[in-house]
Formats: sequence, structure tokens, C-alpha cells
Amino acid sequence: MGLLSRLSPAALRILALLAVLAIVILFFASQIEGYLNGRLFNRISSSVAIMALIATGQTLVILTRNIDLSVGSVVGFTAFATGSIITNHPELNPLLLLLYAALVGTSFGIINGLLVAYARVPSIIVTLATMALFRSFLVEYSNAKSITSDSLPTWLTDFPNLPVFSIGTLEFRAGFTASLVVVLLVHLCLTRLRPARALFAVGSNPEAADMAGIDAKRVVFAAFALSGLMAGLAGFMFLARFGNITVVAGLGFELKSVASSVVGGVNIFGGSGSVIGAFLGAILVDLLETSLVRWAVVSEFWREAVLGALILLAVATDTILSRRLAKLRAKKSKETTK
Amino acid sequence: MTLAPTLALRGVSKNFGMTAALTDMTLELFPGEVHAIVGENGAGKSTMIKIMTGIHHPSSGVLEVDGAAVVLNGSKAARLRGVAAIYQEPMVFPDLDVTENIFISATSGLFLNRPTMRRAARALIARIGMTLDVDRIASGLSLAEQQAVEIARALSQDVRVLIMDEPTASLSAHEASELRRIARALAEDGVSVVYISHRLEEVFELANRVSVIRDGKHISTKLISDTDPQTLIAEMVGREVGNYFTKMPSTATTETLLSVQGLSVDGVFEDISFDIKRGEILAMAGLIGARRTDVALALFGMLKTSAGTVTYKGQSLKITSSRQAIDAGIAYVSEDRRKLGLAMALPIRWNISLATLQKYLTPMGLINTSAEIATAWDYKKKLNIRTPNTDIAVGNLSGGNQQKVMLAKWLNMTPDLLIVDEPTRGIDVGAKAEVHALIRAFTAAGGTALVISSDLPEVLALGDRILVMREGRQMAILNHADASQESIMALATGQKDAA
Repeated sequence: MGLLSRLSPAALRILALLAVLAIVILFFASQIEGYLNGRLFNRISSSVAIMALIATGQTLVILTRNIDLSVGSVVGFTAFATGSIITNHPELNPLLLLLYAALVGTSFGIINGLLVAYARVPSIIVTLATMALFRSFLVEYSNAKSITSDSLPTWLTDFPNLPVFSIGTLEFRAGFTASLVVVLLVHLCLTRLRPARALFAVGSNPEAADMAGIDAKRVVFAAFALSGLMAGLAGFMFLARFGNITVVAGLGFELKSVASSVVGGVNIFGGSGSVIGAFLGAILVDLLETSLVRWAVVSEFWREAVLGALILLAVATDTILSRRLAKLRAKKSKETTK
Repeated sequence: MTLAPTLALRGVSKNFGMTAALTDMTLELFPGEVHAIVGENGAGKSTMIKIMTGIHHPSSGVLEVDGAAVVLNGSKAARLRGVAAIYQEPMVFPDLDVTENIFISATSGLFLNRPTMRRAARALIARIGMTLDVDRIASGLSLAEQQAVEIARALSQDVRVLIMDEPTASLSAHEASELRRIARALAEDGVSVVYISHRLEEVFELANRVSVIRDGKHISTKLISDTDPQTLIAEMVGREVGNYFTKMPSTATTETLLSVQGLSVDGVFEDISFDIKRGEILAMAGLIGARRTDVALALFGMLKTSAGTVTYKGQSLKITSSRQAIDAGIAYVSEDRRKLGLAMALPIRWNISLATLQKYLTPMGLINTSAEIATAWDYKKKLNIRTPNTDIAVGNLSGGNQQKVMLAKWLNMTPDLLIVDEPTRGIDVGAKAEVHALIRAFTAAGGTALVISSDLPEVLALGDRILVMREGRQMAILNHADASQESIMALATGQKDAA
């Protein structure tokens, strides 16, 4: 009981996630020969580097009781737009290029934010529509041509794989490290900045937030703009990692980002969750995906089904666990007040 | 008093469409006083609070803070002026902890300084004399603790006028006395406390002055020492219109349809016992928080009972689901048309057939629309539902006509026992009389009705007998001949004890 009451529920969830991660790793290590090695870490970390950013943005939106389904298209468009700028102007300052990607993403986020917060269209409808719209912009903008990695400057394509530091055999590369820094930064902002509290308040009890003098519209708008920004940064990373960008870039990322957030303990009904959780959720989803490919027991036709089932299992466990915890706490507080 | 009032309403009126919720209201609040406001349900208290907290704008009249006229745009503006309100149901953020809840409205500083905030939160909690772990998540707090959090939040913003809207309605006796102590202490600190309560003994214990409002109008403001409970009750109910409904003769038979003995739901209500004869209308009177609806929900199988027996049609009955209740011939018409009663976007005839759809199936299992339409038109005629046809979405009808559709839906079930909760809330007087006639016609045709109403004239117009409840307890069952608005009110407010 002592540990339970001392740890915050958020910390408890993170611990539970870490435990699940450890179990999954141990399970596959027992199933697949030569599973645990530096290559596995590299593969997962470079893929999570992109998804973690998107899931972070998605988390901000979900916290306010909304959802952003357009992030995949934003990633694709930003990757392509950024790639074509650098192809045409190879001498461009890297920071300017990053800023450009951020701006493109944010503008898409602003469109979503305006429609959801101020025009009061439900976010699932707005972003379902903009998902298609932004994708069409990409098709139109690209003229059905692709960006190829040989047209990109080498600093860009080399960047994600630059070794930064290593722990034992685990090599932390620049892409993953940068993404990790962003996630930690957002986490710090969410927990330490006063305006960030409004995000949780709006999702937790919109009526009370209104009574407390919080401008819910502005909060929701900001969440979508930030989600766009994150997707923009992810687009930049996507371009740097893959080099070859086609019109299908980032397809399906929206659902994977939602899955990462939810698996990471972000409440789909808003109000609670952390970006650290979403980050771990992204790792878990990617780990499952990568490992299933190598696990001979599951045929490739069943891979998606197993992944889906595992995600459901993870979320169900999480829900049951947190309900039990809440009950336990309520019981305890009743006892102390009696 | 020589001080300027902290907050004053001067000639404030508020209209919603054609209805006047407040008319020419005048009220002055001075620093350091506990000012009680009493009135029947629907007297206009909530509208007044909403004007004082900037949620509604007065249609006419002036709101003054420290003697200067102000316009409050929203609750934030009100809070900046030092006006805050707490309600019976606290407004907390369930996912945030106590500290975060207290400082959620803070506007200064970009960075949260957690240690400082926790210290400040502890100091505020201590100031109101509570002990509460400031790291606890709000969803695990008791109602009383959540209210304490709200009061602490108001204090963190230098509150000068604290409005407490029936704060003790859901609290235990001990918690309520604790809250009154807090209110008293705040007033001694110079805060103007507005205390809205149905519990008159509380008003006399706590308040310095008391204002009565009725039908949206200010009736009186007196020092508490210049008045007494009887006077207050008379002022609360004494309406010029008198009994605008006439009681129709009872249609009760001698056969007992339902007999309830010692029914209880832990922590909600206890020891409710009554009989209803076939053809009778039993009215349940009481104030908000008297738990009348919970009794109805328990009879309808939506609340698990902890004790007591129900005998129905001469047989012992244990109802555990609404389906079971419906099959037994018990219908429950909810007070909340919007949430529990009607599917607003669906046509009238769909709503009417919703609970009895199996009656409208063709042998193929398809819905027999012509029979459905015929039924809907039948009710449209019988209940005088004003609509060109029955395909119109219920949401487009007036409140009174919506209420009739809801009654039609349950009458179509031909229930033996019809439980109607607040049958005429929010509908005009003409439609009220029609609904009353309908319920009486239902009992005349052999049905039996249990009517819950907070409207005293309605209780007297419908009830062959009247069961008065107060805070989960049964105060008395009055015969119609022995009941008056005053006697019911005295029982409902606890001024007169259960006989």
C-alpha cells in the first residue's frame, strides 16, 4: 500500500508499461535466436524516432478529448515539400530547412485547429476530411513525381544515423536522440508550464474548465497547432531517414500514432496521460511489429491480426488496471475520512 | 450599514424568450455577512447566481461591485472581481490532484513551481480547517472534500463574494456542520457569503440576513432575528395565483396494487413504506435532494435496494432491471426529457413505438409502419399533440408537446403502474392542465400513477394522497383533505417532524 500511495498514478502507468516492454522482449528473446542485439535496437530506435514525434502531438490532441487523423498526410506532405525545397536549393541552411518543415506542419495544424475549436466541427470529421485533403495536396504538389535520396544533400541523409553516444552495445543515433530530447522537452512543458495545465483541465471536465475561466477554444486550437508542428518535424525526420519520398509517404501513421498514445496509457476520453507514456507506447507497438516479422510461428497473413489483438490486450489490461487502482484509492480515501 | 455593498443587484430582470426568470430583483451583499437566499424550486435562484457569476447577462437592470456598475463577461471576469460560486455538485477536474485543482485558474507565471504550489495549497486547506493530502487525485475525493477544494480555489483568488448553492444537500450531517463552520469563518474574514439552502434550520443557524424570492421576484430581505420559519415558509409558497389547478375527484379503488415496506438503498434513502390502490394517484413531494427520483428508480429496477419488500399485484416482487419492470407493467417517465426520455432527432412516431416495438412487427419481422402511424395519430388526437404530422423530429416540438409524446410512449405500453417524474417541468400552464387531465384519465381507466413533483400546486391538484420526503426519509403520507402547500413545505424543509 505504501508504494501505491506514494507513486503518482502517472508514474505507476509508466512502470507498468516498462514491465510490459520487458516481458515482450524476454518472450521474443526466448522464441527467436539472436534476437537481442544492437541491430534490433537500431531498427526500432530509428523507426520510433519518427513515430514518437507524431504520437507526442497526437497525445496533446487526445488530452483535450479530440483526435487528429490528418497527421499521416501532414508527415507525407511536409516530407515531400521539404525534400523538393532542398533539391532545388541544396545550399539552404539546415536550420532554415527544419524551420520550413515546422512551419508547413504547423499551418496544417492551424487549419484543423480553426475548424475544430472555432467552427465547432467534431475533430474526427474535420481531420478525416483534412487527411484526404492534405494527401490530395501532396499528389497535386508532387505532380506524381517522387523525391529520391540521391538528389538530397548528404548532411541530411547522414544525419539520422550519426552516432551520438552509446550505452554498451546500444548506439544512440542522432535521429532517435533528437526525437527523445523533443519528447522530454514536451513532457517537461506539460508537467511544469502553467498554460499546459489547461490542456488536462479541458479534457478532464470541460464544464468546470469553463467555470474556472479557461478559454477551451484556445486550448483546443493550440493542441491541434502543436500536433501539426510535431507532424512537421516528423516529416523532416521521415525525409532524412528514407530519402525517397512518394505520394504514399506517412500513410497509416495517424492510426499508429493513436495506437501508440492509447497503448501508452493516454485516456482516449481525454484528461489524463503523458507523452512519455505515448513514447513507450510507440516503442511497444514498433517492437511488436518488428518482432512478429521475425517470429516464424505467425504467418505473415496473421501478423496484422496478432498485432491488433496485442494492442487490444494492452489497452484492456491498462483499463482494467487503472479502474482497479481508482477503486482501491477511493476505498482507501473513504476509510480515512470515516 | 454604512459600508458600500460588495455586490448588488439593482432592478435586475432576466428573460429567456417569453419566460421571465427574474423580475426587478434587488439584492445587496455586505462584507462579513452570511446572506441566505430561500425560495421554492424554480423560484429563480439559479438564474440569479448565474447573473452574479457572469454566466448570464441581465436583460435589464444593473450589477454593481463596490458601488460601481459592472458588466461581467463570463465566469473569469466574475472571478477577477472576486465573485466565485460553489455548487451542490462540485466542479473539480477528476484527473488532476488537489494542488492542481486549486490553482487551475491562476493566471500569472509561466512556470509551475510545484513545491511552492503545494505549500500554498496546504495553507489554503489549513485556513478552512480541513486536513487533506494535497497530492490526492480529485476523482478519489469525497463530495465534502471536493467542495473544500473548490472553496480553497476561490480563496486562492482572493474571493470577496462566495456563493454557495445548496452546498450541504449531498453531505452527511457531520460534513454539513463542517461546511457551515467554514462559511462562518469566511464571513468573519470579511467575505460576503451567499448561502442558498432548502434547510431552514441551517439558515437560522448560519445566516445574518435572509432574502426570500418567489416566481423570479424579490419578496423580502430581513435580519434573521426579525423572522421565523413559519413566516419564511408563508413567504416562499404564498403565491397570488393561489391554486390554479383544481383537484379532480379520486378514482381509487379498494384493491392494493403496490405495497412497499421499508425500502432502502444504502446511503441514498431509507425506510420508505407506502401502498397504492389501483386507480389512485400518489404524489411524492419534497425538495431537490429529497431522493424521490431514487425511490422511483429503485422501483423501476435501476437502483439496487439494500432492504425492504415490494408487493405488487399481491405477489412479492424483486425487480433488478428496467426490462423486468416493463414486463411487469411498470412504466417510468423520466424528469429529464433530453437525456433519458426522448430521442430528439427521431420522428414522433418512432419515439412513441420505441418501448413497444414488438407490437408493430409483421409476420416477416418487419416494422408495420401503417400500424405505427395509426397509433401515433391516435395519441396525437387523444393527447392533443400539436404537430402537422407524426414524422416530425421530436426535438422540433415545444416542451409541452415533447412531454406529451413521452407520456404517449409509456401509455402505449398500457402499464398498470405509471411512475411520472416531474410531469410538467418547463412547460406552460395550459399544457400542464392537459397533462394533469391525461394522468387522471389514465387512472380513471384503471391505471395507477405515482407522480413525483416539486411543484406544490401540481402535487395538490393530482395527489389523492401525498407522500412527503426529506433527505432520503419519509416524513409523512397526507390525505389530500389534510394537505396544504404550507403543511407540505413545513415537512419538506424539516420544520415539522414526521408525524
